[in-house]
Amino acid sequence: MIGDTMKMIGIIFSNIYDASLGELTKHRTLASLPFGGRYRLIDFVLSNMANANIATVGIITKYNYQSLMDHLGSCAEWDLNRKNGRVVFLPPFATGGTNVYRGKLEALSNAITFLKRSSGEYVLLSDSNNLCNIDYEKVLENHVKSGAKITVVANRETPENFGDTQEVVLNAENGKVTDIALDHSYTSDNLIGMGMYVVEKQFLLQTVEDFVSRGYYDFERDFLLRYFNEGKIDVNVYEFNRTVLRNRDIPSYFKNNCRLLEEEVCDDVFDPQNPIYTKVRDEVPSYYDENSVVDNCLVADGCSIVGTVQDSIISRNVVIEEGAVVKHSIVMQGTVLKKGADIEYCIIDKDVVISQGRTLVGAETAPVILQKGTRI
Amino acid sequence: MLERRKECIAMLLAGGQGSRLKVLTSDIAKPAVPFGGKYRIIDFPLSNCVNSGIDTVGILTQYEPLVLNSYIGNGQPWGLNRNYGGVRVLPPYAQSKKSEWYKGTANAIYQNIHYIDMYNPEYVLILSGDHIYKMDYAKMLRYHKEKDADCTIAVIDVPMEETYRFGIINTNPDGSIYEFEEKPKHAKSTNASMGIYIFKWDVLKQYLTQDEEDAESENDFGKNVLPALLKDGKRMFAYNFSGYWKDVGTIESLWEANMDLINPSVPFELKDSEFKIYSRNYAKPPSYIAPSSKIGHSLVAEGCKIKGEVENSIIFTGCQIEKGAVVKNSVIMPNAHISAGAVVEYAIIGEEAVIEKDAVIGKDPSDCQIDLWGISVVGTKKVIAEQQVIAPKEIV
Repeated sequence: MIGDTMKMIGIIFSNIYDASLGELTKHRTLASLPFGGRYRLIDFVLSNMANANIATVGIITKYNYQSLMDHLGSCAEWDLNRKNGRVVFLPPFATGGTNVYRGKLEALSNAITFLKRSSGEYVLLSDSNNLCNIDYEKVLENHVKSGAKITVVANRETPENFGDTQEVVLNAENGKVTDIALDHSYTSDNLIGMGMYVVEKQFLLQTVEDFVSRGYYDFERDFLLRYFNEGKIDVNVYEFNRTVLRNRDIPSYFKNNCRLLEEEVCDDVFDPQNPIYTKVRDEVPSYYDENSVVDNCLVADGCSIVGTVQDSIISRNVVIEEGAVVKHSIVMQGTVLKKGADIEYCIIDKDVVISQGRTLVGAETAPVILQKGTRI
Repeated sequence: MLERRKECIAMLLAGGQGSRLKVLTSDIAKPAVPFGGKYRIIDFPLSNCVNSGIDTVGILTQYEPLVLNSYIGNGQPWGLNRNYGGVRVLPPYAQSKKSEWYKGTANAIYQNIHYIDMYNPEYVLILSGDHIYKMDYAKMLRYHKEKDADCTIAVIDVPMEETYRFGIINTNPDGSIYEFEEKPKHAKSTNASMGIYIFKWDVLKQYLTQDEEDAESENDFGKNVLPALLKDGKRMFAYNFSGYWKDVGTIESLWEANMDLINPSVPFELKDSEFKIYSRNYAKPPSYIAPSSKIGHSLVAEGCKIKGEVENSIIFTGCQIEKGAVVKNSVIMPNAHISAGAVVEYAIIGEEAVIEKDAVIGKDPSDCQIDLWGISVVGTKKVIAEQQVIAPKEIV
């Protein structure tokens, strides 16, 4: 309903899982990691919030958030440059007990003033690494109806290896959580948390104060799991049935980019009814030469393609010269592949130049990564 | 109300119905016609203004203003969302004593004297909304000031054999204007007026008021106001512009101007980070190029799905070209859909038009009697049925 989600405040964690994406997040927050040719990870969660008319959003940052600030600007592209709403950066408070926080609970203690000052009964907490096109109005409706203290947004995943990332594995009956396990193997009977929670604001404020003052900092382990096990809270689960792209580490990030080449995935994530917004760069349309060969690719604006590109994601302003070959790769903004350069299974960060005749070959599970601005 | 003074503001004449663009302007004003893959014609003069440091632009329009109005919005895509100044769409409005449409270009400005006076500018730049070009108006203003001119007219050198289509401006060696020739049979020079004028506002205001009082006048800049200034011996100068400048007022010229973007021998570069052309963006994903596709020598904007063959063409934002469809030498406007087996050649396909399976639109001139050949046009939102044939030159 119109107006309902105006009661909700959004909180986005921009770099909780930075370490898992290694070199790609050396100079940026996870939230500002480029994705899908023209986006940054944060575009998805922020667009979902904007589309649900959540107009007050706090972005919790730790360090390296300059690229994120530059990307968001005034948030005009998201239509969030409003008088009756705001997008606020919440960097660590250097005078507090800790300079840099260790977990989401601790991070939220920096957001207490922001939350207290913003009107709204509910808070939507979200990581920025899980990408989907979700209707938060429905999530809120579901949460309110459940009467639970907290709602976890979750989906079913086909079992695979988890790595060392914390994931919330749930068992649920009729939307009510019956078991919670962290970093645990799972089957398709389980629901897997998507790092998105709806909580009542007052309860959240109280929880953060209580826990942080006792030295706890991890939202999932210290608060959610403990309180649930002690029977102190009911946990509601909202099951999300559409595409979820979980960027846990470099192989999954690589794979998720490539999944956008599947038409159903692309159409689902970029649902025209709920567009994903991003910073507008005013690039020209891309030019395809007579000799270009482009098969199974996503190509953003401003590119010039003379060579061959297959099964790849090509961001804005990329130049692929005559005879250059790009296969199974992610090429970020402003990169130039000179004549005869040849790459396969690579992630090429922004503004890289690959000189004439160079060859780089990685593997699907371990793509070669070239950092921003590299010249080879 | 006397506010802070703006040095120079721009007034953009976007009132033309664009009847020569036929089905493409049946429900939008000409300046809102799509161009160049992701732009609309009006993006060019608007971006020129912004790139020249002009932050106040009035857009004068009266035909089908809805699309233009919503396209311009608050001007944010061009950086023209200003508290003081910015962009305004100015349709004619009912005044206490009388109300009327814009009778001519000069009358359109006359009816907005109050708007201009709000900014109390020293200079007013008059622009038209039907040309594709990149121009730094600040240079022209500098020239205007150097010459201490009352009016400066931008001119471009055209081939002698084409002078009959233009207003020709004849000048003295110092650049001062001594004569206008309107579409002359035998022109004395090849300096064609580009329809871009800078006036001292107090001088223009006086002449607009006089012109309005003259019941005989057609209230047109070229026919009435400029000759009146010249007759009175006002300081009028020609400013020479060299560079790409193309009228897109007809089907042929609109098609040609689009094709110029992929013609390497035409010196017009859209891509220039120092002089970008801005446009409203529609939050579409990058274009998907399928294995079944073949794209050669073409521009493709974002949000497209290309599964068929595209050659020598301009594909705008959000188009779908199905597997087995062929598009050659054509301009496919935003969100058009070309179905499997359809062949589109030498055509302009309007916004959101749907070409069903196996339809044939247009023809290569070499396969056609030359006097029967021309660009085929499918109008905005038009649906062409399966296997339907649209002949060359046909406009539906």
